[in-house]
Amino acid sequence: MPNGNAFNQRWIMEPKRQTVWGVPHATWFFAMGVGGALYLNRFLFGIDLGRILGMSAADILGMILISIGGLILIADLGQPLRFWKALRNPRTSWISVGAICDFIFMGADVLYVLPSLELGGARPLAALPTGDGTAIGSLLQVVAAIAAFIVIVYPGLVLASTTAIPFWNTTLIPLQFLAYAFTSALGLAVLAGALGLSASDTAPILGPTALMLSVCLLLLVAHLLNAANARRTALASAQILLQGDLKLPFWAGCLVLGLAAPLALVLFALGTGPSAAGAALVVAAILTLPSNFLAKYCVIRAGLYAPFL
Amino acid sequence: MTRWGMVLDLARCVGCYACSVACKVENGTPPGVWFAPVYEKEVGKYPQVKRMFLPTLCFHCKDAPCLKACPTGAINKRPDGIVLVDQETCCGSRACIAACPYGALNFVEDRAGEFGPERLPVEEAIYNKAPVGTVQKCTFCAHRIDQGNYEPACVQTCPTKCRIFGDLDDPTSEVSRLIRNGNGLQARPEAGTDPSVYYLY
Repeated sequence: MPNGNAFNQRWIMEPKRQTVWGVPHATWFFAMGVGGALYLNRFLFGIDLGRILGMSAADILGMILISIGGLILIADLGQPLRFWKALRNPRTSWISVGAICDFIFMGADVLYVLPSLELGGARPLAALPTGDGTAIGSLLQVVAAIAAFIVIVYPGLVLASTTAIPFWNTTLIPLQFLAYAFTSALGLAVLAGALGLSASDTAPILGPTALMLSVCLLLLVAHLLNAANARRTALASAQILLQGDLKLPFWAGCLVLGLAAPLALVLFALGTGPSAAGAALVVAAILTLPSNFLAKYCVIRAGLYAPFL
Repeated sequence: MTRWGMVLDLARCVGCYACSVACKVENGTPPGVWFAPVYEKEVGKYPQVKRMFLPTLCFHCKDAPCLKACPTGAINKRPDGIVLVDQETCCGSRACIAACPYGALNFVEDRAGEFGPERLPVEEAIYNKAPVGTVQKCTFCAHRIDQGNYEPACVQTCPTKCRIFGDLDDPTSEVSRLIRNGNGLQARPEAGTDPSVYYLY
């Protein structure tokens, strides 16, 4: 059906699958989450991925990912040229809040990293008063960090504020998005370390990576248990994930390959040391990325509207 | 202050879909876009089975979740409680569609007509209020109300008087009386939206 709404595929009163959001939204949520977490990992914990033209690779990759997320959001609009109007309702719309924070993050982080730019051994923008070690630079980092945090959680808040779809209507969703974002960002840091792209030692971040993988697993189970004990529509959503048409991406992608396998591999690396578990760490780090995407995709696609009478 | 609302008496609905069609004609909605669908439900077990019909429309909620979710502020509520989408401001994010518990919003995805992938000139003229890539929904026939005709097309057409329209804030209006006397129920009250549409069983 080319046109229409979420309910009119069948005019029968029963829980209805939401059909308006799908792959583009999961990709947008994924990209923004990982981008924001890369920045926060660098800012809060000093976990970087190396340098690109003298600038922090975590900052650059974070900006690229958030830009990609924003571009997907714009491309998915029915009227993409009206994207700027999406900044107009931050009072009640989480999408509006997120869109504003995207721009704030981009502006603040660009100004912060530009003075570090190295071209041919020179730093042509070093005179800018916004770089590392300046008062403005410090302020910009804090502003970018706040914006990055909101960029990570706002997609989850968009879903959690939707009372129409009981499976989404829980604070466990933004918490999951937050945990997955940091897990994937740590995974990228582990990957950069294992591939020798980053000068920093991988060993200290293996523990936090294992912790975040465990948190993701716990939050996923908590979300399913919450749905199982909630209204029947949320239970039906959980059944779609566990037994329905999303069981393959959910069981294989999210749970086994996405969380259990990387957790086992990281724990193995913790036992043997990162140098002895190089290939295993690379696999574990890579697996954190599709699992993050699939977790979002599965939650979005399993959304069901409750029958309204 | 007037707050327009509707009562839908399910005991009277015979599932003729006249309201759906009258609405489509009145508002010139494109293929697949229905502002006033009628849902069906089978009740009971064989051999004691009957079909129940559930006429719907936008519920023009007092605390409209679509209005809150809209990032552009394209959805507004008039002082008389009618919730409208401004087609010139809507960016087509579809956040409102996800937010509405009642499936009342429609996204116009392409230029398809009733008879092919492109609209005929006559369809183009009729559907000109439905720009592609924007969201549409029931307006309670606000254009008719503004012209002094206080009945939406679906109400005027219903042969069984299942749909009753009026002022919820006027205790003497027929809708207020029916809600009081007939125990009018709002759909999905747990959603906290306070719809302006009530059902009588």
